[in-house]
Amino acid sequence: MTAIRHTLQKDVFLPNDERLLGVVHVSKAGKKKKASFLCAAATTEKPVQVSIVNVKKSDKGDTYKRRQTWQLRELKLVDGKDDTKLCQRYLIKKRPDFVNVNPQLLEEAVQVGELTRTMPQGAEDVVDEEYQVLTAQEESDLEKLISQCDFAVSNAEAFTEQLSKDLSMLDGANIHSIMASEEQVKTLMKLLEVSETEINRIEKRLERYEGLLEGVREQMEQMKGKDTLIQMQNTNYKKLLSTLDTLVGQLDLSPGHVKALHEGDLSNPSHILDCTSAAEALQQAMGVQLHPGLCKMQAVREQQKMFEKLRSSFARRLATHLNSVFVQQGHDMGETLSHHTLEPTLPKHYSAHRDLMPYADLMLWLKGADITSFHQLAQVYTSNLKRLYDREIKEFFEAAKSILGSKPSAVDSKKFGKLMGSTESLGKSSGSKLRSSSLLDIADHKGSNPDITDRAKFERVLNSIMSELEPVCMVEQDFIIKFFHLSTDSTATDLGSDEEDQPEEGVVDADGAMFSKGHTERQAEKQVSSEVRRMMSDLFGMLEPELHNFINHADKMDPYNSMYMLVKISAVVMGMEEKDAGSYLATTLATSVVIVKRNFDKLIQAKIQSIEDIKVPKNKRCGILPFVASFEEFAELAETVFKGSERRADLDKAYGRMVRTIFDNVERVGLEHQKTPQDVVLFENFHHLNAVFARLKITCLETEKKEARHKYKQHLNAYVINWLGHPMEKLNHFFEGIEARVAQGVKAEEVGYQLAFSKQELRKVIKEYPMKEVKKGLDSLYKKVEKHLCEEENLNQVVWRSMQEEFISQYKHFEDLIRRCYPESGITLEFTIDDILKFFSDIAQSH
Amino acid sequence: MASKPKPLQMALHKVIMVGSGGVGKSALTLQFMYDEFVEDYEPTKADSYRKKVVLDGEEVQIDILDTAGQEDYAAIRDNYFRSGEGFLCVFSITEQESFAATADFREQILRVKNDENIPFLLVGNKCDLFDKRQVTIETATAKAGEWNVPYVETSAKTRQNVDKVFFDLMCEIRDRKKEETAKPDGKKNKKTKKEGKRKKKCVIL
Repeated sequence: MTAIRHTLQKDVFLPNDERLLGVVHVSKAGKKKKASFLCAAATTEKPVQVSIVNVKKSDKGDTYKRRQTWQLRELKLVDGKDDTKLCQRYLIKKRPDFVNVNPQLLEEAVQVGELTRTMPQGAEDVVDEEYQVLTAQEESDLEKLISQCDFAVSNAEAFTEQLSKDLSMLDGANIHSIMASEEQVKTLMKLLEVSETEINRIEKRLERYEGLLEGVREQMEQMKGKDTLIQMQNTNYKKLLSTLDTLVGQLDLSPGHVKALHEGDLSNPSHILDCTSAAEALQQAMGVQLHPGLCKMQAVREQQKMFEKLRSSFARRLATHLNSVFVQQGHDMGETLSHHTLEPTLPKHYSAHRDLMPYADLMLWLKGADITSFHQLAQVYTSNLKRLYDREIKEFFEAAKSILGSKPSAVDSKKFGKLMGSTESLGKSSGSKLRSSSLLDIADHKGSNPDITDRAKFERVLNSIMSELEPVCMVEQDFIIKFFHLSTDSTATDLGSDEEDQPEEGVVDADGAMFSKGHTERQAEKQVSSEVRRMMSDLFGMLEPELHNFINHADKMDPYNSMYMLVKISAVVMGMEEKDAGSYLATTLATSVVIVKRNFDKLIQAKIQSIEDIKVPKNKRCGILPFVASFEEFAELAETVFKGSERRADLDKAYGRMVRTIFDNVERVGLEHQKTPQDVVLFENFHHLNAVFARLKITCLETEKKEARHKYKQHLNAYVINWLGHPMEKLNHFFEGIEARVAQGVKAEEVGYQLAFSKQELRKVIKEYPMKEVKKGLDSLYKKVEKHLCEEENLNQVVWRSMQEEFISQYKHFEDLIRRCYPESGITLEFTIDDILKFFSDIAQSH
Repeated sequence: MASKPKPLQMALHKVIMVGSGGVGKSALTLQFMYDEFVEDYEPTKADSYRKKVVLDGEEVQIDILDTAGQEDYAAIRDNYFRSGEGFLCVFSITEQESFAATADFREQILRVKNDENIPFLLVGNKCDLFDKRQVTIETATAKAGEWNVPYVETSAKTRQNVDKVFFDLMCEIRDRKKEETAKPDGKKNKKTKKEGKRKKKCVIL
């Protein structure tokens, strides 16, 4: 049967894309042998079409043929010879009637159909799959059912009966249970009623509770309000307490402090410290920022009043004390003024400052506490110390002047030697050792020259003045800045603003104006405030006039001193530039530099004037002109003084003017001089100037040096040529005449045919100059030269050598002219070159 | 200032530079005078220089007459040789001829001065150019020994021994003057005192 089923599947249904579901062997009632099969088949493609196919086996062979095909839906009757599960599954709606079919089977089919119907409509593929899945389960169900009713298959009727019996039994049971449930519903209703009344009761109670709660809330709110009030009160109390605490703390002044302020001994350093801290405490207590309300408190007012009293009394005490201290100091130090004679010294105020410094903090306090007393104190200090400084400065400069004034006599020379020793160290300390020592070297060698020693002395005095002034002024300035707590960082712009309570504006203005004249570039830099400057100019009021006085005095003593001062004071001012720009001393010195520069310019002008005014000496050999020698001296000194100075440009300018004037006046004197030939004046002086320029290596005068050298050579040659004409004057004229003819175009050999230049004339002239004459002429020329030239410049040999050379070349020239103009005449000069050389040697030996 | 009396008493020593052309007489002079070295060569005719120096602690003046190396006639030199008190006879160590010429100069000086012991230094200049040396130290020293004068090598360019030759010569001049003033008869002790020379050494400051 399986083989047939397989063959059928393969041969009949597969080609039609159908699947054989089941196969039943059928046969017609009459015929026997003919084998037919009724097959159920389903299409493999969707939607699944199920058909019942009648397949007949052909008579010959094993081939099968389709005889008839019925679609499943066309089935009208299924005779129950076999199970009809097929149509159950695939034809749900249009179910054919079943005959002879086991009802259990049918029922199960209905279940299956219902089951299938729960599936989504139209989703037949799903249904199809469901069917596939369920098959196994159904099979087992079916098997179970079948196993329960073993007989079912064999006896369907009995089975049906059994089933209907079961069913009626179940119906009965059902009705019975329905009847029983009515009772229960009634009880349930009753229960519901009861619970409703219960609910009503609970609701009423809840309402009451709510009312109660409402009341509680009101009470709670009331309580909360009270609580905040209490808390506020509490914090207020605390605040009040702390305010009072701080108030008392701030306004309390310890008895020790009060005592110190009342009775502290202001001359005892440790008491001063106590007083300082007490004053600071007082200041703090008074300076406390109180709420305006608090100030209305009786106690506070009283305390403040007490403070006020304390402050004014202490301020008074302090002011009185310091007042007397200042006066005392001004007086005491005046007493102990030392009188040095060797070196001008300014007494140092270190000890006074040291004594006063402990009061500095108290001064700051006083400045805050009692500004009028403070200003009065400053005034007292200024006026007392001013008196002292006035005296000191005056004596200082007097001492300096007296040292300068004392001329070095024989007695003084020992003292002077000692002085020089001390100057060495002084020079070292002021950083100008090089210059001063170089000068002193010269002084050593030229001990006899009073100029040099005087100048060395002046330089030393000037150096010590500068080195004395600087510390005193700077220390005093530092002191008053610290002691009187003057501001130091105000700039030039607020010069005016500081001056409300300062009556002496005029002084400051004048000072400032002069200051800016000297050093405009300082304007932007940090400046010492006008306050400081005003006080310093009050204190050192004497310094400026005394300094200027000294400057002019020194200038009068020796105008060259101005050079030292110009260099030195400028250097001091420049040196201070960085650290103490605008300090009182710097500004004062800056104005001094202006004066010194003016004196220096005056010196140069005077030199120039004296050059122009020089009278030509009448009966003396000219030699080196005094102003040339004087310039050498000036330049030599100036070069050492100005070495490395910033003021070099001033000197170079002065050089330029002086040298120009000198050149002009050398030429003027040359023209005017009676005794000495012009050329000699010129070449001697220019030779000297050239040597001076070369020796001092004054770079700015390089062109002037070349000019001098050129003029020297030019005038030397002119002199030689001019004066060589003298020994053989007539011969000279004669040959000059011949030369003139030749120059006019007369042939050389024909000159001799002119009357004036005939051979006879030539012989006559030559005869006038025999050897003896020539030798005499040369001798007198040599003496002339010696007379014209000065020994100092030592140019005799130079000039004479030049003359010898020139004379020989003249001789050769004459010989040449004779040879050319009088050929074969056999005429020669009366002397030969060898004679000349012998004359020269003789002249050389004769002196 | 100009009216102040001049330091008349200051000693004055007259030095003459002699030697052939181009050996560096002017270069030595300018180096000594102004501490400068001039490279360009310009033949000198004659020039005079004066300088104040400190000789053994005493300030003196030195007059230097720088002369021409080339003269057409030697007799022209007579006059300034005559005026000299001491001579620096210069040759160039790089030029044999200039060394040979020193003998002529020496001879003329002795003749003009008529003094064997005239202060005189033989100076071999340009010693910085040692790679071009033509005159050995031995030759020059031998020559100086023959004349009984010192021999010094100098370089005007490097300033080597420049001060030394001038100061040595000035010392000799000074010593000679002292010897002469010590002899009241004033007669010069010529051609005799060879061994008496150069016993004092100079100190250059």
